[in-house]
Amino acid sequence: MKKRNNALTGFSWLMIVFLYLPIAILILYSFNESRINAVWNGFTWKWYISLFENRQVMQALTNSLTIGLISSILATVLGTAASIGIKHYSLRWRNVVNGLIYLPIVIPEIMLGLALLVLFSQMKMDLGKATLIMAHTTFSIPFVMVIISARLADMGKELEEAAQDLGATPWQTMRYVILPLIMPGIVAGFLMAFTLSLDDFIISFFVAGPNSTTLPLYIYGLVKRGVSPEVNALSTLLIVSTVLLVIVAELFRRKDSKTITY
Amino acid sequence: MKRFKSLMVGVLSAALAFTAVGCSSSSGGDAQVLNIYSWADNFDPDVIADFEQKFNVKVNYDVYGSNEEMLAKIQAGASGYDLIQPSDYMVATMIELGLLEEINKENVPNLKNIVSTFQTPPFDPGNKYSIVYTWGITGIAYNKNYVKEQPTSWNDLWKDEYKGRVILLNDPREVMGMALIKNGFSNSSTNKTELETAFADMKTLMPNVIAFDTDNIKQKMIAEEAWIGSVWSGDAAYIQAENANVDYVIPKEGATIWADTMAIPKGAKNKELAEKFINYLMDPEVSVKNYESIGYSNPNEQAYPLHSEEYRSNKMIFLDPADIARAEWLVDVGETLQEYDRYWTEMKSGR
Repeated sequence: MKKRNNALTGFSWLMIVFLYLPIAILILYSFNESRINAVWNGFTWKWYISLFENRQVMQALTNSLTIGLISSILATVLGTAASIGIKHYSLRWRNVVNGLIYLPIVIPEIMLGLALLVLFSQMKMDLGKATLIMAHTTFSIPFVMVIISARLADMGKELEEAAQDLGATPWQTMRYVILPLIMPGIVAGFLMAFTLSLDDFIISFFVAGPNSTTLPLYIYGLVKRGVSPEVNALSTLLIVSTVLLVIVAELFRRKDSKTITY
Repeated sequence: MKRFKSLMVGVLSAALAFTAVGCSSSSGGDAQVLNIYSWADNFDPDVIADFEQKFNVKVNYDVYGSNEEMLAKIQAGASGYDLIQPSDYMVATMIELGLLEEINKENVPNLKNIVSTFQTPPFDPGNKYSIVYTWGITGIAYNKNYVKEQPTSWNDLWKDEYKGRVILLNDPREVMGMALIKNGFSNSSTNKTELETAFADMKTLMPNVIAFDTDNIKQKMIAEEAWIGSVWSGDAAYIQAENANVDYVIPKEGATIWADTMAIPKGAKNKELAEKFINYLMDPEVSVKNYESIGYSNPNEQAYPLHSEEYRSNKMIFLDPADIARAEWLVDVGETLQEYDRYWTEMKSGR
């Protein structure tokens, strides 16, 4: 490893450029004075300012945040409960159940979106915020469970058994031993669910209804009118907040492996 | 499976309970709600705000990116919308599918303000289900720096000197329609030989075509990547505001006219409120404010004298009546649409 492979380093950098160049250009042009994406005319904040004065953008932002918050709380609660349940009780079809729970991660989003839309219209439910929240909760649960299950697996059974040996009731074990230990995982799961909800386009596209346009849906609608710097600015904000959330989630997820001592 | 089902039910009911709480706390007051499903930036925000204040209502405005997307949503039972804005051909389709409510004209007295030609469009003669909201004509936009002589005919796009500089809309009906008009046929022809002729002609245009691009056509014209092309009049006005070298003309053979309308989907919960909003938008003074903000042509005749000089002198917004008379609507071609799509695919894949 001492001898640096220049070709390989160069290739790595090339890959990074390949991956991030489009995003970098998108961000760069959100500061462009000109209305057109083709020519650079100088630096400005005006597109960001006009965003915050735009009622529709603010409405879409509020929708995204409300839906993201409620769905990620639901997904975290349900996902945590399910992870603990699956770990503790030996279900007869454990592997099958496990597989079924993680399946939505690999099912093409468009299928899930369509399936949910069909379900909602069969149930005669009006599309809107409620259906969006349910859909987002549904696709977030598996991700929450992956994170929390990993955390639970790290924890082992010893602490739990020790607690019970010392006379803790199952509820006390849960409240004072298990939950505090997996809390970083829960927070990471929550942030992940929130990020997924904030970013989702495809599934939202299917199940959105009146008064439930989220940011990604709004951006899509705007693009049909031509890409303007406002779209760039809005996308930049979405990218930056997503990246920040993922970083925070990752920090929480890592925190556990250091703090746990047996 | 049973467990899975009960989990699902649990999720659903939990989410419902949550949103029920969320909704009741946020709505406050008993204001009526109008749910609009439309194109992005299709209203002046102030006009909506004024309407809300004047009539004590709340307007929700959701956006879609294409007619087909909107149709799919309405067909999937997205009840809850009170006002939608389908384009001309989509109005015909939706009437046929029984997806539109009849407009009660007693609630829309301002309908009389609309230019008479828009009161009898072929897709909905008599404005039974729809009222024209924005409209325009697909003509030729060109950059005077590169196109020295003012084009007069669609033929001009075929000139050798524009190799790799012609831009076209990304739409089979628009592009085939243009080729049909150029050859003296109707833009909605269902005649096989006419279509064949138009397609053969289009193939000879391909070396000149830089792109089929509806979304970025404005950028490409402004940045002078494209010199000449088929452009909607409203887009041409936008382009000229950013690049004064670009001008616009409606060719002598004629051109395609389009409109986005106001319509009420079947089963709308606030039909009367939607009609009130439609009527409000057609008030001459309101329409002046609205259309000058969104930059489209106003179909409101009573509003013409009220418009600013700048708006009125823009020939891409205030189109010449003689040009309008030459323009032709796209009408439903039924099964022949498959032929259009086949030619379209061949055209694009043969590039």
